[in-house]
Amino acid sequence: MKIGLEIHVQLPTRSKMFCSCPTTDAEAPNTHVCPTCLGMPGSRPVLNRKVLEYGIMLAKMLGCRVADTTWFSRKTYFYPDMSKSVQITQYDNPVGEGGVYYLNGKKPIRITRIHIEEDPGKTKRVGDQSSLVDYNRSGIPLAEIVTEPDIATPAEAREFLGQLIADIRHVIDLPGDGERSIRCDCNISVGKERCEVKNVTGLKNVERALTFEMVRQTKILKAGGKIERETRRFDEERGVTISVRKKEFEADYGYIDEPDLGVYHIRELADSIRIKESPLKMTLRLSDQYGIDQKMSKQLVTTSVGLAEMFETVARDVDVPNAIKWVAGPISANWRSLESRGADTETLVGIIRRFASGEITDTECGMEIKCHMTGEDRDSVQGASEGLDTLINQYLDENPAVVTDYQKNEKAANKVIGFVMKNSGGQYSSAEVVEATKRLIESRI
Amino acid sequence: MDRETIERVARAAHIKLTDDELERYSRDLGEILTYFELLDEAPGCDDYGVNPVEVADILRDDEPSIRIDPDELLRDMNTYEGYVRGPRLS
Amino acid sequence: MRSYGLSEIRAINGKYSMFHAMTEEEPSEGRFHFSAKDNLTSKGMETCSGSRILEGYRPAFDATSIERMKAAGGELIGKTNMDEFGFGTFSTNSGLEVPRNPFDLERACGGSSGGSACAAAVFEDHVSLGVSTGGSICCPASFCGVYGIAPTYGRVSRYGLIDYGNSLDKIGVLSSKATDLRKYIGVMAGKDERDPTSCAQPELGDSHVKLGSVAVPMEGVEGLSKDVEAAFRSALVELERMGVDVEYVNMPSLKYAMPAYYVLATSEASTNLARYVGMRYGQQEGDLSLKFDDYFTSFRSEYFGDEAKRRILLGTFTRMVGFRDRYYAKALQVRKVVIDDYKRVLADHDAVLAPTMPFTAPRFDDISKMSALDSYKADYLTIPANIAGTPHMSVPCGYDSDGMPIGMQFVADHWNEEVLFSIAEDWEREFELRRPEVVA
Repeated sequence: MKIGLEIHVQLPTRSKMFCSCPTTDAEAPNTHVCPTCLGMPGSRPVLNRKVLEYGIMLAKMLGCRVADTTWFSRKTYFYPDMSKSVQITQYDNPVGEGGVYYLNGKKPIRITRIHIEEDPGKTKRVGDQSSLVDYNRSGIPLAEIVTEPDIATPAEAREFLGQLIADIRHVIDLPGDGERSIRCDCNISVGKERCEVKNVTGLKNVERALTFEMVRQTKILKAGGKIERETRRFDEERGVTISVRKKEFEADYGYIDEPDLGVYHIRELADSIRIKESPLKMTLRLSDQYGIDQKMSKQLVTTSVGLAEMFETVARDVDVPNAIKWVAGPISANWRSLESRGADTETLVGIIRRFASGEITDTECGMEIKCHMTGEDRDSVQGASEGLDTLINQYLDENPAVVTDYQKNEKAANKVIGFVMKNSGGQYSSAEVVEATKRLIESRI
Repeated sequence: MDRETIERVARAAHIKLTDDELERYSRDLGEILTYFELLDEAPGCDDYGVNPVEVADILRDDEPSIRIDPDELLRDMNTYEGYVRGPRLS
Repeated sequence: MRSYGLSEIRAINGKYSMFHAMTEEEPSEGRFHFSAKDNLTSKGMETCSGSRILEGYRPAFDATSIERMKAAGGELIGKTNMDEFGFGTFSTNSGLEVPRNPFDLERACGGSSGGSACAAAVFEDHVSLGVSTGGSICCPASFCGVYGIAPTYGRVSRYGLIDYGNSLDKIGVLSSKATDLRKYIGVMAGKDERDPTSCAQPELGDSHVKLGSVAVPMEGVEGLSKDVEAAFRSALVELERMGVDVEYVNMPSLKYAMPAYYVLATSEASTNLARYVGMRYGQQEGDLSLKFDDYFTSFRSEYFGDEAKRRILLGTFTRMVGFRDRYYAKALQVRKVVIDDYKRVLADHDAVLAPTMPFTAPRFDDISKMSALDSYKADYLTIPANIAGTPHMSVPCGYDSDGMPIGMQFVADHWNEEVLFSIAEDWEREFELRRPEVVA
C-alpha cells in the first residue's frame, strides 16, 4: 500500500496573501473582504512579504532545495467560493522542491515540493436550492506540502502529520488550533491504481478516510475487481468516502504564469533566514551528539529549548558530565523560576565553571545556582534545601528498601516524592523535590 | 479543430455552444491554428520572463487594513444575511 | 479652453456613440474634460468593458489612472465604447454601442479604444484615456486622425483596469494635440503600490530629444494599401527634410509576433474572463437552483459576445495539457526574441517607424465580411511593439482619396517615452491636422 499526502497549512500572517484584509476571525460573513479577494474587475494582487518568508522557512525545514527565482501561476477552476475562478498558486519553480522528512527521526518520507497559494472562500449548502458564500477566508495564505507515496499505513499517515505539524508549529508559530485547520488531499493505492480523497480536515479524519479507502480498495481487489482512478470526498459523519468524479472528467487547470506579480529572486532572502530546529530533531541530535539517553534529551527540550541550549553551552564550554550533573539536575528543576524572574544564564555557566576548576565545592555550587535562579538569599536557600534534604533523608532512613527498589525501577522514587509533597505543605516545587530525591537516593547507592 | 476537441475546450471554458456555433468556431479556430504553425518554426530562447520588462521582488508589508467599506462592495451583490448567494453545489 | 455642457455632450454622443456611460451632472467650470475607455473603473459610473455580462457594475473605486487625472484637475465626462473586453480591431465587437468614425459615420473608428479616438477627434480640448493590448490605441488613433501613445508596459498603473492580457495591457492617451501626450502620460505615470508591475519603472524622462534617425523595417512596409503607402513615403521625405536619417532594416522576428501575441493574449484573457459567472457583479439574475457548472455556463453562453467566446475558446485551448508547451510556452519565448530584435535595432536608431495600419478606416459593411483571421491579421503592424512592451505612438501623417486619416507608428526602447513625446511635438509643427466637421 502506498500513501502520499498533499497537506495544506494556513500560514499565520496578520493580513491576507494578496490584499491587506485582516486574517483574524470576523464577526460576520463578508466583512474582511476587498475588491482583490472578491475578485472584482479592476482589482490586483500584491504579495505579502511574510508569506514568502514562511514558505521559505518551511522549505528549509523540510530540507527542500530553495529556488533562486520563484513566481506564481494561475490555476483555473470554477466554483462559487473561488472568487476569480482562478487560484493564484505556484506551478513552475515553487519555493521548494526535493526535500525529506524523517518520521520518528528515522524513516524518510520524501517531500516532492512545497508551494504557497491562496485559500478560496467558504460555501454553505442551503438545502438543494442554492448556496451561500462567505469570502472572509478568500486569500488567506496557505502552504501546500506534497509528499511522495512513501507512507505505509493510515496510522503512519496520522503519526507523520502529527509530527510534521508539531515541527511546523515550532518553526512558524502556528496558533494552537493548527491541527484542526490542517487540510489534506490523500492519495492511496492498495493495488496499482490510486484514488484521491480530497479536502479531509484534521488528523483523525485523515486516518479514518484512509482506513476506509484501504478496506474498500482491498475488498474490490480481493473480489477480482479493478480500482478506478478517481477523486473522492470524505463524509465525516458517516465515515465513508464517496466518488466525486472519474479521472476523465478531471478539470484541466490550464496553468499559465501570473503576470500581475512579477518574479521573486529569493536566494539572498533564503540564505538570511535561519529556522529554529524542531523539538524532535533537537532531542535526537542532543542524544546523538552528547551520548545522553533520549529520555534525558527529551526532558531538556520539552522543559524548554532555552534549557537545552544551556545544556549545549555547558557541554561545549565545560564538559558533558557537568552539563548532565547541573543542567539536567538542579537547573532543570528550577527552570520555571528562572524564566519567571527573567534571570540570565551566563551567571549559571560561570558558577559551573568555577566548580569545574575547583574554586567552589559541590554544595556551594548547588547553593549558588539555586540562589541565582530563585532570587532567594543564601540563608533561606540553605535552610530550605537543608530542610528538604532532612525530610527526604528521614524517610529514606526509615524505608531503606526504597533505595534497592529504585535500582530495579526508578518509579520507586515516587513513594518518597509523594511523602515529601504531602508533608512539606507546598513549600517546595515538585521539580525541586524530584531533583533532591533522586540525588539523595543515588548518593546512597 | 475537430468536434471532440472543441467540445472539450468549451466544457473547460464553461461555454455551451449551439451546433451552429460549434461548426463556425471549429472552422475559425482551425484556420487560426493553421496560421499559428508559424510558431513551430520561430526561434526560441531560455531567458524569457513572465513580463516584457523585468518586474521583480515587489512585496507588501504584513499590515492589515480595510480601505473600502465591505458594505459598499456588497451593495450590488445578491446577498442573504451577509452571505453572497450562489448556485447549487451538487 | 472649449468646454461642453451636458446637453451638448449628449447630442454629440447621439451622433457618434463614443460614450457608454456619461456624466449625469453639468460639468463643473474650470476643469479640463477627459474621457476614459470603459475598461477603466470609475467610482459611481457604470463600467462594462463593452460587455453585457458586466452591465450594472458600479465599481467602488477609481482606477489609478482616472484618480490621477481627476487629481490633476480633470473632469471625467464619459466612458468610451470599445470592443468587448478589448477583443477587436474596429470596436464593432461590442455588446453595447459601436462608435462611428468622425470623418465618415459609415466607417469604423478602429479598435479597441474606438470610442476614445472618436472623442479625442470630435471634442475640442479633450483628452481620452485608451488601453492597448495589441494595438488598441494606435489603430483607432490612426483611423480617427489623432495622436495616440501607449507607454512602456508598467509605466501607468493598471490598478482599476479590467484585464484583457495582464502581461500586455498598457494605459495611454489619445488627443488631437501632440503636447497632451507628454502632459498626461506625465500625470498618470509613476509607481503605484497597488500594481506591482508599475513599481519596476525608472522615472519618466521629460527633456526634448531631437530625433536623429529612424529604422524602417522591411517587414513593416509590406501589404499596404496604395494610399497608405503613398502617405507613408511622403512622410519619410518630410522627416528627411526635418533632418532625420531614415534607414531600412530587417527585423525577421516580426512575423512571429502575431501568432505569439494571440496565444499570450487569449491565454491570459481566458483566465481573466473566468470570473464572469453571474455572481458578485454585473448580470446576476439567474436560476440559483441550477448546479453551479450549469449556472455559470448559462450566463457565460448568454452574455458573452461572439468574439469573446472565440478568444476564450482559443485561449483555453492554447494552455491545455498537451498543447501548453507548443503554444503558450513557445509564445513566451518568441516574445523575448522580438524584444531582443527591437533592442538590436534601437541600439543604432532612436525609433522604429512604419505605418500604423495597412489601410484606412473600413466601412461597417466591409468589416462584417471579414473572417476572424482576416481581422487578426490586420493588426500585424501594431502587434510587435505591444508584445515587446515597448512604448509606441501613432501620429497622423496624411489622408486618403476619401479624406480618411492615415497614421504612422513610432516605436522607442523601453522607458524611453520622451523620444516619442518629442517626435510628436516636432511633427505637429510641420503637419497640418484636419479636424472633422462636427454637427450634433
